[in-house]
Amino acid sequence: MNNRGTIWIPVLVGALAVLWIIPLVGLLLTSLRPPGDITQGWWRLDNFSLTLDAWRSVWTKYPLAGAFWTSFKLTVLSTLGTMLLAPAAAYAFQFLRFPGRRLILIVIVNAFVLPQQVVIIPLFTLWRDTGLIDSLWSCVIPFVGMSFAWSVFLVKNFLEDFPKELIEAAKVDGCTPLGTFWYVVLPNALTPIAAVGILQFLWCWNSMLLPMLYLRTEVPLTVLLARVAGSFEPNLDQQSVAAIITMAVPLAIFITFQRYFTAGASSRTGGKE
Amino acid sequence: MAAPTTMGIPRDGQGGGRKPSFFGRSETGAAYILLLPMLALFACAVIYPLIDTILLSFTDMRGMAAGKWIGARNYLTLFRDPNFLTALSTTIVWTLVVTALSVGIGWGLAIVCSLAPRATLVFRVMFFAAYGVAETVSGFIWLGIFRPGTSGLLNAVFAGIGLGDWTTAWLGNVSTALWCLMAAYAWTQVGLPLMTCFASIQTIPKTLFEAAYIDGARSTSIMRYIVLPLSMPGLRVAIFINLLNALRAFDMIFVLTGGGPVRSTETIGYFMFRESMLQFKLGYGAAATVVLLLAVVVISIPAIIKRTAEAT
Repeated sequence: MNNRGTIWIPVLVGALAVLWIIPLVGLLLTSLRPPGDITQGWWRLDNFSLTLDAWRSVWTKYPLAGAFWTSFKLTVLSTLGTMLLAPAAAYAFQFLRFPGRRLILIVIVNAFVLPQQVVIIPLFTLWRDTGLIDSLWSCVIPFVGMSFAWSVFLVKNFLEDFPKELIEAAKVDGCTPLGTFWYVVLPNALTPIAAVGILQFLWCWNSMLLPMLYLRTEVPLTVLLARVAGSFEPNLDQQSVAAIITMAVPLAIFITFQRYFTAGASSRTGGKE
Repeated sequence: MAAPTTMGIPRDGQGGGRKPSFFGRSETGAAYILLLPMLALFACAVIYPLIDTILLSFTDMRGMAAGKWIGARNYLTLFRDPNFLTALSTTIVWTLVVTALSVGIGWGLAIVCSLAPRATLVFRVMFFAAYGVAETVSGFIWLGIFRPGTSGLLNAVFAGIGLGDWTTAWLGNVSTALWCLMAAYAWTQVGLPLMTCFASIQTIPKTLFEAAYIDGARSTSIMRYIVLPLSMPGLRVAIFINLLNALRAFDMIFVLTGGGPVRSTETIGYFMFRESMLQFKLGYGAAATVVLLLAVVVISIPAIIKRTAEAT
């Protein structure tokens, strides 16, 4: 397996990779070419010209800026909620003893199997009865609540390797359990907390089903795009801009932090690698 | 591991009478303070919906009206409903084909990439990128590829290579829609098996390969006896995750076909949405959800056992 001058491997894999992202290239070109050219096909190279018209006009055509702001609020609230509460729970499960610890832990870490379809009907009737339909909280609460199944597990796995001497030293010095969490564990657990935040941010931003069902007036980008895609209007260039704006933030985060996602996916749905 | 036995220092009477500075030193009290917000949200977002879905599945709730208890009648109806039976078989085909396609391609790529790890780094990220794109966006993109007429890329390719007869309305055709949908969904899912299998193969010590070369092993036998078995951990994780993802898939089906044409691309995860949210048969939709839940739980039993052991 050493590098034995095998030039054909990068060439082959590279060719496949380029083929693989052709759909994404097509999306970008569709947003940049004049509508007349797109109806011929974005891949046609005769009379090739680029324009930013769609990028300018789309903002009045669709409420993109508002949807972006909704996506942002929804995602940031859900991400902060998880980043704050998951480490506290993970610390309690790892270092404190209390009645019910084992049972609660088993239930929480195994909730990862639940499909989001399970929450749709009960929360729909609950939000309808409590008037939370169309409020951001109708999505933030399930996003944060469902995230504990993997986020608590992820942080707790990290804390297993946390030096117990530090915790015992704090205890001997008269630090209370809450103080130990705040002053000793939290400052040293920023890595898994950041990982949890990145994963949660991407999943919340990309989610569509719950916002589509529970939000009406202010919808996030994914819901707006789903509506636009089903409208059969001919303005593909503007629709492509909307799609690019929907995917830009999470994709940048994803590519920057992609190694978290390999590890994170396993804690979300299975054991450690 | 990490048994809490090291924490067995006596709890009381060791602070030298100093006043506790931060909410007292009871572990139980502290634990519940830390857990309470999390438990409240978890109960609201997971426990309550889970119980309520199961209870609702035994009622005839429709729309706003409160339903009454009808026992297992929803389930009996489900298994006589041709639409549900179609959705059931679609779910099985969809889940197996999508997982086989994505894991197969990802695994193959991982093995090829591991022959030149450094040179293929950028390309691996390119494959993985699709996994970070919202399914809604992927759906929108593939809508353009499968578009009928010559403005769809797939049709244009077939016309361009002289297979003009093959052009069709890919998503409007009962015989092709599901396959197109599966290809598009697999496209989003290949990156994960590629990454997990690649990571597994990278953990194989170089000395193992060197020893194999010295002993005169051919590259086919190195592949078969070293690379394949040792890429199993990553492969297992990827198969499981992709199975679960496929079973729960919704967004892409919604954008690409909306379950059509004539409900031919409806999985159970989509069927429950249509019955409960579009036709307001909440009790009936809940019963379909319970069937989906059972399928997911059965597939996950080994993972549940493993995870329980790891977490406690």
